[in-house]
Amino acid sequence: MRVLKTGGDFAECRDEAGVRHLVATDLVGPLGAGATVLVHAGVAIGQVAA
Amino acid sequence: VKFVDEFRDAELGRAVSTQILTELEPGRHYKVMEVCGGHTHSIYKYGIDDLLPENVELVHGPGCPVCVIPMGRVDDGIAVAHHDGVIFTCFGDMLRVPGSQYTLLQAKAQGADVRMVYSPLDALRIARENPEREVVFFAIGFETTAPSTALTLKRAKAEGIRNFSCICNHVTIVPPLRALLESPDLRLDGFIGPGHVCTVVGARPLEFIPADYGRPVVISGFEPLDILQSILMILRQLRAGECRVENQYTRVVPQEGNLRALEVMAEVFELRPHFEWRGLGFISQSALRLSSAYEDFDAERRFEIPNVRVADPKACQCGEVLKGVIKPWECKVFGTACTPEHAIGTCMVSPEGACAAYYNFGRYAHEREAV
Repeated sequence: MRVLKTGGDFAECRDEAGVRHLVATDLVGPLGAGATVLVHAGVAIGQVAA
Repeated sequence: VKFVDEFRDAELGRAVSTQILTELEPGRHYKVMEVCGGHTHSIYKYGIDDLLPENVELVHGPGCPVCVIPMGRVDDGIAVAHHDGVIFTCFGDMLRVPGSQYTLLQAKAQGADVRMVYSPLDALRIARENPEREVVFFAIGFETTAPSTALTLKRAKAEGIRNFSCICNHVTIVPPLRALLESPDLRLDGFIGPGHVCTVVGARPLEFIPADYGRPVVISGFEPLDILQSILMILRQLRAGECRVENQYTRVVPQEGNLRALEVMAEVFELRPHFEWRGLGFISQSALRLSSAYEDFDAERRFEIPNVRVADPKACQCGEVLKGVIKPWECKVFGTACTPEHAIGTCMVSPEGACAAYYNFGRYAHEREAV
């Protein structure tokens, strides 16, 4: 999912279909808008390297 | 979409398919197991097997989280769901998995308060909003979803939420793979490694496969080009007489995994001495339970559960499908008595199950082939 904006332990993300999700980001490093994350069950478990 | 479109390029797919042909030894039949249910789904969705020569056979492994849950554990969940005052939460796929008598969806129809959630964090939110009710989350999945359960329990503990608990059915991927490699039923040449599990655990846990069993492993992404390239990398290793763990999915999988996720999991979980897998029987140290620091959140301690082992229906051959011994369409009830709408076996329930994936994307092609 693509990160749209971050705040606290969550990020607002958009998936491939354009649907927005609130994703917990505790388990990945600092994120910025535009980052791509791998999400399972509402929690980001990895960041996709460019 | 970046990281998606470029890995679905049909021209490149055909080019990799042609390269695969050049790596084959004449007269040899290759069996490659994809471990993860996500790979199984992609293989059928994108028709990847149609791009492979006849002597490269893809075998489906036990990596669908829903498929490996035995009927007895479903019965345990249903029993808890029927307790007065309980809000029972689980992922959508789990609702339709048959127990010995009926499914969680049918329990809901009978009056149990069963709710589908997308994340255990949603279940925790429901607990916050309903402090007078007991909220139970039925946790399933491999090392990909275990971090989300662990993180949720850590937050529940930090917030002092007392009306939330979890039936932990999380499983780990290495023990069933070792069991499969020890099985005389199956001769495999290589493995497409589970990319998302390895995002969490890293590449090292799979090193026993080349070290102890002499089989190559390529950790793979889930887009069609990822899977085709991984098959090519396995065949190149075999042709060169090599076997090691390679990482095709470098854009996501770090060699050491996700250390934060592993740390949280180590705090919240501990290994069960043994756990029953559907079709595979009991496998030692193959699943997780809550650690003593989190035992207050353990629904198996909080509620009385049947904890009875239930044999699979005789007609169901999910066990053989999960071990890769038979293909989905070779099951006696595939597509007739067992369909995604009326599943007998778990492999027909989840989109990641080999039977459901084949039924939804491939059975007509196979029937043409059979003719």
